[in-house]
Amino acid sequence: MTEENSTEPIISIRNVWKYFGELPALQDVSLDVYSGERVVIIGPSGSGKSTLLRSINRLEEIDKGLILVEGQDINSRENDINKIRQNLGMVFQQFNLFPHKTVLQNLTMAPIKLRGLSRNEAEERALGLLKKVGISDKANVYPAMLSGGQQQRVAIARALAMQPDIMLFDEPTSALDPEMVGEVLDVMVTLAEEGMTMVCVTHEMGFARMVADRVIFMDKGQIVESGKPDSLFNSPQHQRLKQFLNQIL
Amino acid sequence: MPEDKPGTPATGTGAGNIHIMVADGASIPDPREWRLINAWSISLTLAVCALVTLCVVWPQPYKEILIYLSDGLLVTFQVTLLSIMCALPLGLLTGLGRISRNRLLNLVASTYVEIIRGIPLLVQIFYIYYGLAKFVQVDSMTSAVIAISVCYGAYMGEVFRAGIQAISKGQAEAARSLGFTRFQTMRHVILPQALRTILPPVGNECIAMLKDTSLVSVTSLNDIMRLGRSYANANGLEFEPYSIIAIIYLIITLLLSKAVSLMEARLNYYDRRK
Repeated sequence: MTEENSTEPIISIRNVWKYFGELPALQDVSLDVYSGERVVIIGPSGSGKSTLLRSINRLEEIDKGLILVEGQDINSRENDINKIRQNLGMVFQQFNLFPHKTVLQNLTMAPIKLRGLSRNEAEERALGLLKKVGISDKANVYPAMLSGGQQQRVAIARALAMQPDIMLFDEPTSALDPEMVGEVLDVMVTLAEEGMTMVCVTHEMGFARMVADRVIFMDKGQIVESGKPDSLFNSPQHQRLKQFLNQIL
Repeated sequence: MPEDKPGTPATGTGAGNIHIMVADGASIPDPREWRLINAWSISLTLAVCALVTLCVVWPQPYKEILIYLSDGLLVTFQVTLLSIMCALPLGLLTGLGRISRNRLLNLVASTYVEIIRGIPLLVQIFYIYYGLAKFVQVDSMTSAVIAISVCYGAYMGEVFRAGIQAISKGQAEAARSLGFTRFQTMRHVILPQALRTILPPVGNECIAMLKDTSLVSVTSLNDIMRLGRSYANANGLEFEPYSIIAIIYLIITLLLSKAVSLMEARLNYYDRRK
């Protein structure tokens, strides 16, 4: 992992616009994330928070603006997006584990094929990660046999197996049964405590309070308010945020 | 999730167990079918009994016909096997072309499918057998294989396309987010999963293909159909040779459809819950 200059943002989003047809999903959004920072993005559905997150590793192509990850313009043809993505771990709402591979293979596939690790090295790393997320006993089963919470923890481990500098979470607990949310959040808290740079779209306000350095509130494709979790949750400035917090708390 | 019925995909794993059935071929027996008496076993028993009875009770002419046709059986198998070997890669390429973002590839593949699907196989066989002969010297086996695999390549292209598109978008996104290229994603994540979805309809196409090889009997290729016709002409018998031919085709297609069904069950390994 590279040591970033603390004054340079590790992710820099500048004046980004994105349209779905006529509809603007992102309107002139700018956001800097610094190395080691934990940023949580909240907002009502359709506010563009997932779109913003997905555009950081170019799963969504932006229409206007600039996104730099570790100083590289991700939308430039000169930069290899596949290389950039190797440093950007992503966790999805729907887990998206590869169902035809065992848990262990899900974790070793990318490190072997993309980082050039030997099978032994990759398996050693994978088993370490499975231990970390608390499911080392499931290494050789197929994802279909795991609960949602277990699948999501495997998905986090799979992203970590590439040893990324940044982790992106796209509503990682929204598809889970309530009793499984905790086990996934625990893993994410551990990760945050270790100093991982994290950008997380979530509806878990408790998690945001606990780990976020900064909370971003989005509405209608714009960043409406951002700040430390305490100030944002306790003394929201904007009417829209007050409404939102009233509805969910 | 434990309450899911076996065989239904777990949420989010993208393991769609969708069967894309293409009409025409024999129906593939359900791998989960466990009863001893079912449509498949009844059909096979009837066919085998009929064949044995005919040959034992009336060896003249039935047994004689069977022996007369045996060379043709080999030809039929040969045409089928070679055509499958050509049609599968052609179908895969066509399917990939149909979903390609490259406009030229996409147009070529789509046009190929559009044209071929609109022309009856019998016409294509005549066209290639007599048309191609005007320009190059090809034997009847080659022209038969070309005609059938070009035709079925188009059909299979549609099956491959549907199978690939049935894999959830999340699978590709997960692979791409790890840093896999488009090609690696297709090769290691999408195609292995699509294969399972595709197997029953592809098996179906192969069985339909075997039956359609009877059309090459209009050329000089001595498959069982053509041998049957020549036996009929030579001996003035119609009912007897065609009965034997019908039974032979039926037995082969039933065995093939069972084989596809067994393969399908094997490919379901990662959906099984224990």
